[in-house]
Amino acid sequence: MATSHPRVAQGVPWRSIGKILIVIFCVLFLTLPLIEMVKAMIADPQLLVRQLLIGLTNGAYIALIALGYTLVYGIVELINFAHGDLYMLGAFFSLTLVGVFSLTPETPWLIRGPLLVVVLLATMAFTATLNMLVDRWAYRRLRGIGSRMAALISAIGISFVFQNLGLLWGYLRFPFMNGVMGSNAVAPKSFPALFPNVNLLAGTGVRFGAKDLIVVGVSVVLLAALYVFVTRTRLGKAMRATAQDRDAAALMGIDVNRTISLAFILGGALAGASGMLVGLYNGTAVFDMGFTAGLRSFTAAVLGGIGNIVGAMLGGLLIGIISALSDQYISTKWTNAVVFGILVIILVYRPTGLLGDDTAQKA
Amino acid sequence: MTNILETRGLTKRFGGLTAVDSVDFSVATGSITSLIGPNGAGKTTFFNTVTGLYTPTSGTIAFAGRSLVGLKPHEVTAAGIGRTFQNIRLFGNMTAVENVMVGMHSRMHANVLGILAHSARVQHEEATARAKAHALLDAVGLPAQRADDLSKNLPYGDQRRLEIARALATDPELLLLDEPTAGMNPQETAELTQLIRRIRDERAITILLIEHDMKLVMEISESITVLDRGAKIAAGLPHEIRSNEQVIEAYLGRGAASMAHAHARNGGEPT
Amino acid sequence: MQTRIRKSMIGAAFGFAIALISGGFAGILAGLVAGLINGYVVPEAEPLADKRRAIVQGLTVALVGSVLTILGIVLRNVVIDPIIGVPLNLIGVAIAAVGAVLLCVLVSVVMCVVRTEPPARERIGMAIVVGIILVTYPWLDQFLNLRFMNEVIPVLVFLLMALGLNIVVGYAGLLDLGYAAFFAIGAYAAAMVSSPHFGLSLSFWLAIWVAAAVAAIFGLILGSPTLPLRGDYLAIVTLGFGEIVPIAIKNLDNVSLSLWNYPLFVDVDLTGGTKGINPINRPWLPIIGEFSPSNPIPWYFLILGIMLISIFFISRLRNSRLGRAWTALREDELAAGAMGINTVNVKLLAFAIGATFSGLAGAFYGAYISAIFPESFRFDVSVMLLCMVILGGLGNMSGVILGGIIIQFADRLFLPQMSTVVQKLIVASGNESLRDINFASDFRLLLFGLTLVLMMVLRPQGLVPSNGSARVLPVAAGEARHD
Repeated sequence: MATSHPRVAQGVPWRSIGKILIVIFCVLFLTLPLIEMVKAMIADPQLLVRQLLIGLTNGAYIALIALGYTLVYGIVELINFAHGDLYMLGAFFSLTLVGVFSLTPETPWLIRGPLLVVVLLATMAFTATLNMLVDRWAYRRLRGIGSRMAALISAIGISFVFQNLGLLWGYLRFPFMNGVMGSNAVAPKSFPALFPNVNLLAGTGVRFGAKDLIVVGVSVVLLAALYVFVTRTRLGKAMRATAQDRDAAALMGIDVNRTISLAFILGGALAGASGMLVGLYNGTAVFDMGFTAGLRSFTAAVLGGIGNIVGAMLGGLLIGIISALSDQYISTKWTNAVVFGILVIILVYRPTGLLGDDTAQKA
Repeated sequence: MTNILETRGLTKRFGGLTAVDSVDFSVATGSITSLIGPNGAGKTTFFNTVTGLYTPTSGTIAFAGRSLVGLKPHEVTAAGIGRTFQNIRLFGNMTAVENVMVGMHSRMHANVLGILAHSARVQHEEATARAKAHALLDAVGLPAQRADDLSKNLPYGDQRRLEIARALATDPELLLLDEPTAGMNPQETAELTQLIRRIRDERAITILLIEHDMKLVMEISESITVLDRGAKIAAGLPHEIRSNEQVIEAYLGRGAASMAHAHARNGGEPT
Repeated sequence: MQTRIRKSMIGAAFGFAIALISGGFAGILAGLVAGLINGYVVPEAEPLADKRRAIVQGLTVALVGSVLTILGIVLRNVVIDPIIGVPLNLIGVAIAAVGAVLLCVLVSVVMCVVRTEPPARERIGMAIVVGIILVTYPWLDQFLNLRFMNEVIPVLVFLLMALGLNIVVGYAGLLDLGYAAFFAIGAYAAAMVSSPHFGLSLSFWLAIWVAAAVAAIFGLILGSPTLPLRGDYLAIVTLGFGEIVPIAIKNLDNVSLSLWNYPLFVDVDLTGGTKGINPINRPWLPIIGEFSPSNPIPWYFLILGIMLISIFFISRLRNSRLGRAWTALREDELAAGAMGINTVNVKLLAFAIGATFSGLAGAFYGAYISAIFPESFRFDVSVMLLCMVILGGLGNMSGVILGGIIIQFADRLFLPQMSTVVQKLIVASGNESLRDINFASDFRLLLFGLTLVLMMVLRPQGLVPSNGSARVLPVAAGEARHD
């Protein structure tokens, strides 16, 4: 007879204790401040609406970036760490073009309008190409092998390379750039105020500027275009098929590598557009702006359900609103922590997000 | 004779798919029992549910009198069930000896303090464990000169043997072997058959086997249970299963049973 | 003979690089390093048993090493120094060359002879050689007027952290991107108890244990949410923690907490906010007295001692039941669980133990600088540590140390030197648009980023591969070290 084994003790249920402790902590320490927050919101509805509108604008640019995360993750299960930095590079690229075209707030709209569109398209092309090249030269090589850690680590590496690129970009003072960059790499660069800052809702006490409209409008157009592309076109279907089952898609005659490249291209283009819009909206760009934007967008993508396109848009909107509210009612110093806290909570308690299915986590 | 393992109404569903469907199954203590069935019948899922990798959707699992439902895999192992995997899951970059020593994890007691202090007890435990590991490798027939080779560099047959040694290292009362002879030639299979018998006879370990090699199954089993599409369709002695119509049809398709009878009537041996 | 020469190029390359980049009398040090490395690498590829032949081996190896080192010295003095404006000093060059050759020959021969011994004695012999070098280094540094000591000490701090990170990433396979958070936590914990900040003024020797304990506890706390997560998500969550901890530290300078309506504490300055905590108590020993900022030698030996003790304990952990459990966890988490390993406990232990070393490093660092600020702990520290571990080879200590030294060397010495040289060249060329680029600070991110990417694509198992790295990352076959 094999040695008889001592009865396996049930063990302390750490998980449940932990969960209960967290609940107690939240109830004791967070309820009052939360109630205060809600009261403050109700007390000044105009402020609240203003913040919600800011949240809408935020949500727009975050959703654009979030889509890039979700498209890439859905298709190759890689968290493209460098994605937020593409957004930053988009801002820098568009700023450079603004300098090249010598656009200023005085430029007449007849010229400004079309040129801005050109800048937008060029920026999108730039970031799209960059993203595709990174995939081709770095990630693709690491794809065949079982572990995902290698791809993730190289994504981190690429993120840093991009940041350094942004840093160095800030130094360039070639004459054709007309002085848009400066002599201090780490300092933020200013965009000329090319978006009109007129308050469209003047008189109602609430602020929604023309520039907000531009950001939200362009974002909506791009997001809608992407949605139509992914759901209606053949290439879009190929992307969805590859995301579901790469081998089956290959057997169906889909060129998997090209389809993956397409995901990177689309994601990259949207991130670049976002960078340009935010740069012109805020009037500033700095080499490490990709980190915060990336963190928020990734949280948005996870919140909505990673891999799910509508989820990324919804998540973007939610995170945009949450960060605007946090900025106002808590403090801008803590907003990053709040967003990140949401990320942790989702990943631990509901990794599939709001709209996701079971692509996210498996034992 | 008592049953060391008994499941009642064990069911495992994945979304819309019922992989294991209300299976009542028992393994007699000290026996060599086989679980067979066509591909996709749910045999490995059954193993995984019993060992705690999956949580049962419903049903009970009783092992030596206690319920296994809700236990985590390492707790199931500590309770006395060891297993091998269908697609060998060795720790490729560890040597054969180290793989076996990992199996002993739950039977060793060295904790962080003892390790840092390199206490006499810990040193003794390590030495004993290492010796035991070598002995186990020897017992399964792994050549001694391969003991310090990385397990991913071992030939296939040795890898399968190593997995068994590792499972034995967990000091089980019940050993679950998932297709232990897959990919083996007849000679290796014969050696493995002998090994399985020796394990049961010399170490008094009950053996539950998933297998596709019918010759091995018929030769070695004292009891056979058949799963098809998640449900148990037959259970009994080897000769009963062999001529069971449902079983034949599960494997060969409808109408095969009557063909088999016709074949037998004509004096041929159904294979 | 072919192998011998080929392999001795490795150490020779290091000698060349150090001589070229460091300049001055560091060429002598370069010779020593070349000899040391070659003395290790060559007998590994060409093991000998006869002492006489070993001496010949050592001499050949030293020849190769010296030639390249001298080449580096000459290039430096003749080509680069004029560019940066250092006058040519032929006597200096001659002294450096001779010194380099002497040390190279000495170390090479000694190492080759030591390597002829059977394994147990060989280890002791090598340890003695390395030990002598480490112990006499401060005086060598003074003698050669290298003035590296103030750089060496932070390097050792980072190496200690890299060893701790190696436990989490290398042994257990948990990609922790927020590791610098524990450095901060340890530093602040020690600072809080050994400075006037809270009125407690414990001695450094007590504070360091507080730091270790607090860091370990936070390792458990920050590790627990990551338990159910898989690789990439675990990385992101740890990254987030690595960001949140500095944010929290920066903003916790007026904390008010109320339980329902009862104020528990109001406006407590927990962490000193952006102004940090200072002054922090320095260590005190009999005879030496209080460690002072102007004398790096006691600090050097202290951090060296901490590191050696850490290496000692980490290798005990590695070759134990726990170490095997970590490796099994990293190889195949599912199978590890099936073999009876409680993966939750094992992961938490990895986090806690790894965090402890980072906490120790933080406590030391705080005392060394005698002040800490939230700005000292940023994400690039975490990524730099990751680079060190990945470059060297996940999962083995010698690799991590080697990789760490290379990265630190590149960051602290190579980049600034290159910066000076290139800057002079740019100014000379009169190019306006590139004028302000400062290589020292502005290329760091590129250095770390490229290291990570190139390593993953070209040699994922690291410079000194061990069995471990191969499973976590894709691999081309290589020799393995068990460390």
